[in-house]
Amino acid sequence: MFLEIEQLRKSYGTGENKVEVLKGIQLGVEKGKICVLLGPSGSGKSTLLNIVGGIDTADSGSVTVAGEVMQGMNDRQLTEYRRKHLGYVFQAYNLIGNLTVRENIEVGAYLSSQPLDIDELLDVLGLTEHQNKIPSQLSGGQQQRTAIGRAIVKNPDILLCDEPTGALDYHTSKDILALIERVNQKYGNTIVIVTHNDAIKNMADQIVKLKDGQIQDVEMNAAKVPAEQLEW
Amino acid sequence: MKNPLRKRFLRELKQDFGKYAVIFLFITLTIGFISGFLVADNSMTHAYDESFEKYNIEDGNFELEQKADAVLLKKVESENDVVLYENFYKEVPKAISNATLRIFGERNDINLVCVMEGRAPQKDGEIALDRLFAENRELKIGDSVVLGGEKLEIVGTVALSDYSAQFQNNSDMMFDATNFGVAIVTKGQYDKLDAGTEHFIYSWKNNKTDLTDSQQRDLSDDILKQLVSLRAGITNITPAVENQAIHFTGDDMGSDKSMIQVLLYVIMVILAFIFSVTIASIIEKEASEIGTMRALGFTRGELLRHYITLPVTVTLISCVLGNILGYTVFKDVMAGMYYHSYSLPTYITLWNPYAFVITTVVPCMIMIVVNTIVLYTKLKLSPLKFLRHDLNHWREKKAVRLPKVSFMARFRMRILIQNKVNYLVMFLGVTFASLLIFFGLLMTPLLDHYGMLVEENMISDYQYVLKMPVQTKNEAAEKYAVKSLILDKTDRKLKEEINVYGIREDSDYITGIELQKNGNGVYASEGILEKYKLSVGDTLALKDEYSDDTYEFEILGTYPYPASFTVFISSSRFEELFDKEEGYFNGYFSNEELTDLDSKAVATTITYDDMTKVVRQLKDSMGQMFPLITVFSVFMAVLIFYLLSKIVVEKNATAISMLRILGYNKSETAKLYMMSTTIAAVISVLLSLGIAAVVMRVLYDYFMQEMAGWLTYYVDPANYVWAVVLGMASYGVSAALQYRKIGKVGLEAALKRADL
Repeated sequence: MFLEIEQLRKSYGTGENKVEVLKGIQLGVEKGKICVLLGPSGSGKSTLLNIVGGIDTADSGSVTVAGEVMQGMNDRQLTEYRRKHLGYVFQAYNLIGNLTVRENIEVGAYLSSQPLDIDELLDVLGLTEHQNKIPSQLSGGQQQRTAIGRAIVKNPDILLCDEPTGALDYHTSKDILALIERVNQKYGNTIVIVTHNDAIKNMADQIVKLKDGQIQDVEMNAAKVPAEQLEW
Repeated sequence: MKNPLRKRFLRELKQDFGKYAVIFLFITLTIGFISGFLVADNSMTHAYDESFEKYNIEDGNFELEQKADAVLLKKVESENDVVLYENFYKEVPKAISNATLRIFGERNDINLVCVMEGRAPQKDGEIALDRLFAENRELKIGDSVVLGGEKLEIVGTVALSDYSAQFQNNSDMMFDATNFGVAIVTKGQYDKLDAGTEHFIYSWKNNKTDLTDSQQRDLSDDILKQLVSLRAGITNITPAVENQAIHFTGDDMGSDKSMIQVLLYVIMVILAFIFSVTIASIIEKEASEIGTMRALGFTRGELLRHYITLPVTVTLISCVLGNILGYTVFKDVMAGMYYHSYSLPTYITLWNPYAFVITTVVPCMIMIVVNTIVLYTKLKLSPLKFLRHDLNHWREKKAVRLPKVSFMARFRMRILIQNKVNYLVMFLGVTFASLLIFFGLLMTPLLDHYGMLVEENMISDYQYVLKMPVQTKNEAAEKYAVKSLILDKTDRKLKEEINVYGIREDSDYITGIELQKNGNGVYASEGILEKYKLSVGDTLALKDEYSDDTYEFEILGTYPYPASFTVFISSSRFEELFDKEEGYFNGYFSNEELTDLDSKAVATTITYDDMTKVVRQLKDSMGQMFPLITVFSVFMAVLIFYLLSKIVVEKNATAISMLRILGYNKSETAKLYMMSTTIAAVISVLLSLGIAAVVMRVLYDYFMQEMAGWLTYYVDPANYVWAVVLGMASYGVSAALQYRKIGKVGLEAALKRADL
């Protein structure tokens, strides 16, 4: 498995206020696959994503990416891990306000010794004509495309998407999901998408359902539906 | 690939042009001023230091009552391994208006003369005046002076190497280059000049050139002992290391340099903290973006470098430009100030790498270090915390409980709590600015007040110190005896001269004190008690510099005589103490000028002008500086208020926008947000004024310890009012700008940043 998660546990708070968010998660994702983590609010899916992303730490258990074990990594090593392996897309686009679309993507490219060709990527993202605009001149969908571009330009092993369509309307959401799908096909990255939108599972190779900090179900999707055909 | 974040710099600069422009201007001018000062100071110090060798400045001098014979001089030379040179002068009181002129013959061997303009006298009937004295007296080449009925043409202006500071007496607290000056004439002109009193000064040069200061003093003591044992009639001896006319300039330039460096460092630390608070606010605003960048793999160091690059670059450019201004414009201004105070020889501008380091490298380092320390702590948070805006370094985890007051009052309290760090930095910055404002306002009234005290408490309009007892027929005159002792304190580098006056018990001039016939009780001038923290009942230990006899006096009370350090005893006690015959006197107090005294018998005539020379000199040499300091401090206060109140508005832009959406008008919104800052500003101004007043008193005492004598500390009550007015006016300027800014916060700020 490219991504291996074993007996992952995480809790917040102490004493009476202690809440166990992840209760022994065991999961594996193959390289180049799209994995959708589904679950209601509080199910632990974002926490799981954050631990895989190296921006949060587990209490116990382990996460292995491309044979690299994350447990025990210090802050500097975790930064290096993120730099080397990860791309991140958030619900809030978090673009840098005074950089253009192209420059925001360059922010990601800077972190890689072999970034993707930015012009080609802009074309894939459908942002060529907007490349010199700053975020405030863009629609929500265009901003999220830029955020995806920033995450993908360093050609990460894993692209983590936390509710990437959470702030978008139906049509724009489908556009973004199609883009993620296209990126996966073109660049072969492993993609983990966290969502509470059940319909998105249909575009995934692997569907993981979480509830109350535990995996309820892991399903390999033999009948993938192109993102453009998703309905909700 | 270069970091694309660098592209933000120019845009941020443009976006926040006002902020960076004022900081840039402030640092550039500050550095320009300081760099100019250091370059001028260094170049002139170099010229001054060189002058010791170049102009062969003496290692010391002594004064005899009469011209010495060759045998005596040979003995002194051989026993002390020195070479003696005649350095006689004739001192002419009221030579030019009320100014005293000290005239030397031409100098060919020692204490050589630097011709500043024109030429040295070449024939009789010519004179060259000290440049500074000539300037102060508005005398030019071609003008003439009349001495002893003889008209002498001014052919040049000069700097006498042993009079870089125009001290008339080495014990004077301050020199006075307006009412006292030095001049040279030819040997022939000197000999025939029939004016003033001749003083027989012998300067010595050591054959050994490597004596330490302490060895120089020991040598001076040896010469003194020898001259006393030879009954040479020594009246004064001064090793060069203790000669204020020679060393005051160098010491002053050195202490100015230290002070100005400390000033620069403090200003830069304050600015660095202001920058760090500003950046911390930007970091808070950009928390999501920072979290994302960290999640993508940006290191903390990369982000730290990114955020401090702009302030450091602005500082660096300001410093470089400031240095250029320092070398071109300000250097001449600063050199002009020194030339306006001291009679220095000509100088050549020297490249000063030390000044460059002090004014460029050090400010940048301060900026980097302070910002790194402050911001590294902020950036230490995990990416997740940034993404969640869980920046608990800045935000309270729980709301602080507030008293049950009106909503408006609580709202303002919340803003005060939210911005407590900003307000703390504001307070610290304003405290420093207040200290400078206080200093700028302090000195002129203090000097005026001192002058007034001196005038009010003058013993007599004329005070004569005699070389030999001579009688006057003027009935207004009252005899007194005086002896100069020095304070017996080994820890003092500076010699503190204290005059012991023997006064008639029925004195018409010294009244209101009961002088003891016996015992060691004395009345001391108030300044002694103030400066040395003595009280009535304490012991005052004095010693005779020329005999090492020591005296211990009990302070019975004070006498208001601020003009000098003086103790008063009865004349009978004086005679007993100093082994003088009955009826001994060596001076007169008189409210009328004593015209029947033989001028050759008069050592000094002290008038109001003599007593207040320190006031005139300080006002003359530093008078322009005081308003400059005040203006600079006000500018600094405006900058501090502006930058820190700007952060408060920017930090709350979303909330301000939301209030506008809810229906608050501009004025109501401004009142809510600006009132908190106004409260903080008022508290800062008032509190800092109190602190400034206390600190200034401590600093004043400290610096006065470095000087001979004492200027009574006085703060004009109007200064407090002015300091508050200037402080509040500084805030007023900033408030007006922020009011405009609040008005410009659009409704979209709340709509776009709903996550905040």
